[in-house]
Amino acid sequence: MNKTIDIQALIDSKNGQVTPSIYTDPEIYELELERIFGRCWLFLAHESQIPKAGDFFNTYMGEDPIVVVRQKDGTVKAFLNQCRHRSMRVSYADSGNTKAFTCPYHGWSYATNGDLIEVPLEPRAYPQGLCKSKWGLQEVTKIASYKGLIFGTWDENAVSLEEYMGDMAWYLDGVLDRREGGTEIVGGIHKWTIDCNWKFAAEQFASDQYHALFSHASAVQVLGAKPEDEQKALGSGQTARPVWETAKDALQFGQDGHGSGFFFTEKPDANVWVDGEVSDYYRETYPEALERLGEIRALRLAGHNTLFPTLSWLNGTATLRVWHPRGPNQVEVWAFCITDKNAPEEVKAAFERSATRAFGPAGFLEQDDSENWVEIQKILRGYRARNSQLCMEMGMGNEKIRDDGVPGITNYIFSETAARGFYQHWANLLTSKTWQEAKAKTDAYQKTLVENSKETA
Amino acid sequence: MTQVITPVSMELHHEISQFLFYEAQKLDDWQFRDWLTLIAEDIHYTMRTAVNAQTRDRRRCVQPPTTWIFNDSKLQLEKRIARLETGMAWAEEPPSRTRHFVNNIQISTTELEDEYDIRVNYLLYRSQKEKDETFYVGMRKDRLRRTGNNDMGWEIANREIILDQVVITSHNLSILF
Repeated sequence: MNKTIDIQALIDSKNGQVTPSIYTDPEIYELELERIFGRCWLFLAHESQIPKAGDFFNTYMGEDPIVVVRQKDGTVKAFLNQCRHRSMRVSYADSGNTKAFTCPYHGWSYATNGDLIEVPLEPRAYPQGLCKSKWGLQEVTKIASYKGLIFGTWDENAVSLEEYMGDMAWYLDGVLDRREGGTEIVGGIHKWTIDCNWKFAAEQFASDQYHALFSHASAVQVLGAKPEDEQKALGSGQTARPVWETAKDALQFGQDGHGSGFFFTEKPDANVWVDGEVSDYYRETYPEALERLGEIRALRLAGHNTLFPTLSWLNGTATLRVWHPRGPNQVEVWAFCITDKNAPEEVKAAFERSATRAFGPAGFLEQDDSENWVEIQKILRGYRARNSQLCMEMGMGNEKIRDDGVPGITNYIFSETAARGFYQHWANLLTSKTWQEAKAKTDAYQKTLVENSKETA
Repeated sequence: MTQVITPVSMELHHEISQFLFYEAQKLDDWQFRDWLTLIAEDIHYTMRTAVNAQTRDRRRCVQPPTTWIFNDSKLQLEKRIARLETGMAWAEEPPSRTRHFVNNIQISTTELEDEYDIRVNYLLYRSQKEKDETFYVGMRKDRLRRTGNNDMGWEIANREIILDQVVITSHNLSILF
């Protein structure tokens, strides 16, 4: 384990190349757990999942189990789900409501504020005294909420969540801020594992509209209704064709490791795969969304997004997911259905049906994504394969800053600006001891990007 | 929450068992269009997520929220099969080799004379590509109906699939249960 990996050499964002050993190397993975998952703001839960005091939700930050719990004063805390005595999990249910977390091993019990409150046989077992205040659950260093989404970071020196998101917040608002009342999670969570590196999934949602045309060709063929079809497959309000067949222009955004892409549409028509009730709902609520978000985002009912490193979502189809890393060769997907809180119950049910149809392990679209990633991971077992550079040149040098109010570094949707930015920021974090150092490197990269594009323009 | 099992005749038990084996064979042999003829027009074909609940919640039948994994009408099942037929359903190119095992068959009469509730344990083995192997294990609740719509004389009017895993250790569910 003494070999030193030159991580920056594996990411050649200026020439659009990456070396795929970044997806397989166990040493790099260990560094990711420390410097990416140990430092970045990570999505933990939605406020709507834990509305009452004592409500808890179990999740992960990287591979560390985390219990997120609503406090008596209404605030949210998150703790490492690890007993301080022998490391046992103190909360095993997916979610619930409790007064205390009691370790099943020796019975140490913790209040929902993390305090160690009960140690069995304490006077007899610790005659010398036990300083219980020292042995509370480890609290996640910083917690912040953004329009219903709760995030946490272990790094006390991390920038604020708003600064961390930067311009990506503008894109995220397109989902979170369409209507008065915000959003909520509907139903349970799809959880499944894919034997591939977490970065394939995160990168695809950041940067890859390109794959949809071919990877999802079968779904497009069978789910898309012809415009003249009276009996549209999924309901009368359904949009007839995929958005990329009708939209006139499109863009990709890639900055600070985050990425997003979407098409400019002329009507508030949702993606082809949603139920009629969902399409109708978007048309009916368009005036409110228009007022809150402006035309571009109110019309944006399709497209992909990743908030670095592992929170991804798609507009219009209501799927929001976290890619929990499970070693270099596996990712665990947790996919949530997110809708406007003020949507009628029957519309929420239609959203849930629509999200299930397209996404989740049996989804018409999602099935084929995982198949690609699993095969890639197998191929990268090969020495030659994992040391052969991959082409990430799409749209190089065409980055630009727009003047229509769409913020940040952008490109045409079929480009890899967001992928190059994702991996450059990833390398910068892995090679920096502090946030400030990583941020300075990413800023420098982005500065050249915009300057270069000005010269070529 | 115990299901009342009403004993049926050995002859009927045999007939229904043979139908279930035949149905499994259609899936294993990739004869998906033939399989569709065994599916009732009004089928609800479902699977929901499994969850871990706290002990006290479990005792009062409360659990964390769940959601659909499958929630299909016959039209959607037909779309799944049409997808396979495009030759571009990459999750099934080449198609998975499957073996559907159906056992612990328990049959109950229902409020309708020509319909029966069937509870089975299933084991679904999936072999894919070069050496990928997956086992899916769970329970299925089927409603079978006597029909003249196919040669077998039975159709599946409802199918509720329980997959026992909370985190499914399979990269996709591109097969039928």
